[in-house]
Amino acid sequence: MSKVVVIRFSSPILAKGQEKEQYKLMLQLGLRSLSGEDDIKKSLRKYIPAGVVGMKTNCLARKFNSTPIYLCDALGAILIEMGTEENDIIIWERTGRELEMAGYKLNASSFGKRCFGTDTNGVGYSGDFYNSGDVNSLVTRILTEVVDSNINLPVLKDHSIAGLSAALKNLYGAINNPNKWHGNNCDPFAAHIANFDPIKNKNKLTIIDAMRVQYNGGPGYDSRYVADYKGLIISDDPVAADRIGLEIVEHYRKLNNLPTLEKAVRPAKYLKSAEKLGLGVEDITKIELTVSAIDLNGIAKSTKLFDE
Amino acid sequence: MNRRSVIRCLGCGALATAAFQSDILPEILGGIQNAFAFDYAKNLSSVEARYYKKLEGGGIECGLCPRHCRVTDLERGYCGVRENRNDTYHTLIYGLPCSMNIDPIEKKPLFHFYPGTTAFSLATAGCNVNCKFCQNWDISQSRPEQTNNIDLPPQAIPPICLENKAPTIAYTYSEPVIFYEYMYDIAVQGKKKGIRSVMITGGYIEKEPLKELFPIIDAIKVDLKSIREDYYKNIVNGELKPVLDSLVMIKNSGVWLEIVYLVVPTLNDSETEFHDLAKWIKSNLGNEVPLHFSRFHPQYLLKNLPPTPQKTLETAYEICRAEGLKYVYLGNLPGHPAESTYCPQCGKILIERRGYKIYQYNLNGNLCRYCNQTIPGLF
Repeated sequence: MSKVVVIRFSSPILAKGQEKEQYKLMLQLGLRSLSGEDDIKKSLRKYIPAGVVGMKTNCLARKFNSTPIYLCDALGAILIEMGTEENDIIIWERTGRELEMAGYKLNASSFGKRCFGTDTNGVGYSGDFYNSGDVNSLVTRILTEVVDSNINLPVLKDHSIAGLSAALKNLYGAINNPNKWHGNNCDPFAAHIANFDPIKNKNKLTIIDAMRVQYNGGPGYDSRYVADYKGLIISDDPVAADRIGLEIVEHYRKLNNLPTLEKAVRPAKYLKSAEKLGLGVEDITKIELTVSAIDLNGIAKSTKLFDE
Repeated sequence: MNRRSVIRCLGCGALATAAFQSDILPEILGGIQNAFAFDYAKNLSSVEARYYKKLEGGGIECGLCPRHCRVTDLERGYCGVRENRNDTYHTLIYGLPCSMNIDPIEKKPLFHFYPGTTAFSLATAGCNVNCKFCQNWDISQSRPEQTNNIDLPPQAIPPICLENKAPTIAYTYSEPVIFYEYMYDIAVQGKKKGIRSVMITGGYIEKEPLKELFPIIDAIKVDLKSIREDYYKNIVNGELKPVLDSLVMIKNSGVWLEIVYLVVPTLNDSETEFHDLAKWIKSNLGNEVPLHFSRFHPQYLLKNLPPTPQKTLETAYEICRAEGLKYVYLGNLPGHPAESTYCPQCGKILIERRGYKIYQYNLNGNLCRYCNQTIPGLF
């Protein structure tokens, strides 16, 4: 069994100027629920060891639908409360350009949270190839040499080839040659990339941003197919988190009279391959799902994955 | 980088290559990074790509190579250097080479194309296949953000060639098909100044864009990596059939053609394959197309294999000569007699080569100086 927690924000909109606090409330509730610990420090420490912590964003869709800065800020605040040095937090992507286009301010200095791409001078990729199945890639030195643990922060999206872009697909941003591994709906390539040692071993937690779900037309931004789900999907099992994300994408596709991803010829079949590699649970009957809603005042209650 | 600094760079004899950005920079420049002023390009290009169509419902389909990548907004094709931006396909590496040098034309190898001359050679990041034996994988399998690129627009290149007495521009090292627009525009600029262009390619390109190159490209060397479809599928990550089609098209166009076959131990080195290769070439291209067998060295993803034994290369040579091919060569075996060109009529040595150097030259124009036999090529 794997555990997945979905936290939904029950107020109508994210209040202007309070976004970071709202994300923080959602994260605190989600991490407590996932870990079974009341104390937020203990709950996060259950997954994230002391040391340098990476946050892998997804900034492909620029400011329109990338990992929100507020999410990184809120998570960073919790990590700092937990005792992590501010400069030991690294928000990263494959390129600095993508981070900047999503609104992040680059910082490779010794002060404050760091934020940079693998293309930053002095970073780059591993000297040796990592292999799994037929996939061979260099892995970002952020994972191989810089961080002690990583939190994967993807955005929940449809993907024109893979079907689903969430936790596993976001890890394409950790390798040097992602364009080579998109055939056959990214299957089994997405699974093998997630199976590279430094990726598999350093990734401790997945938090999928599902505030606005791009249920069709992804992975770029297409305003015609965006749903306000207002949720976060949290798990230490990236495959199970993706499986729940897939339910949400399919739900909105059905609601909007779109064919299933299977019928749209882009089934997210790489999830099954990931399960076969032992990376997590794809079988939804083996996923323990907890869904909670939280409002502006931090009052939480149990709810369902979808509105009635 | 200005023109003067390019020349100084070339004068150092260093391959101004790129590999991955990062702290390995001093290594890739061979310790000469302070010898000239380098200004790396800060941005990728955004020139609209040629040969693509917009798809109904969004996205584009690239028509440059047989892969026909369908690419949605903000995504890239298999090559990693073409990006859909709001359903306009862009080349990201136009005017941004990451590797350049002045090479002997023999290094390409082109043996029947102005022997003893040099070629200003350049490449950008990216490739439309992923050969497990690639010798330039650090640029060919990289995205342009991962290489150090230099601002060098097409019009800046002919003056560099003229000042360095390089009569030819070679598009090489990675795969010029993926920097098609840049190559095309350089070749046009070169033609205006009387500078030739040669393309060193895997031949994995669609017919129309290939045809468009014929008026501006003077010679093409195709890496025919195998005569087996499964090798292309499993080792090259491409397809054989389109490459064979390209070879026939090039031959029929009149553009000078030479072929290289990299012999990889245990994977494409059987005698049956050498026979099939020779027969296909003879039937489809004739027996006068030069064929180079090249020695494999363990690289990239095939480090587990040994270098090609000399005996295997000599077997390939003998088989193809026996099948009737007139100009067969062995490469990466410096000093081997099969590096040289012999007259198919009188058997005398026409061009004696050792490595990339020429020690004897016994041609009068296209004719053997001993028996007046016509030798195909551009001399």
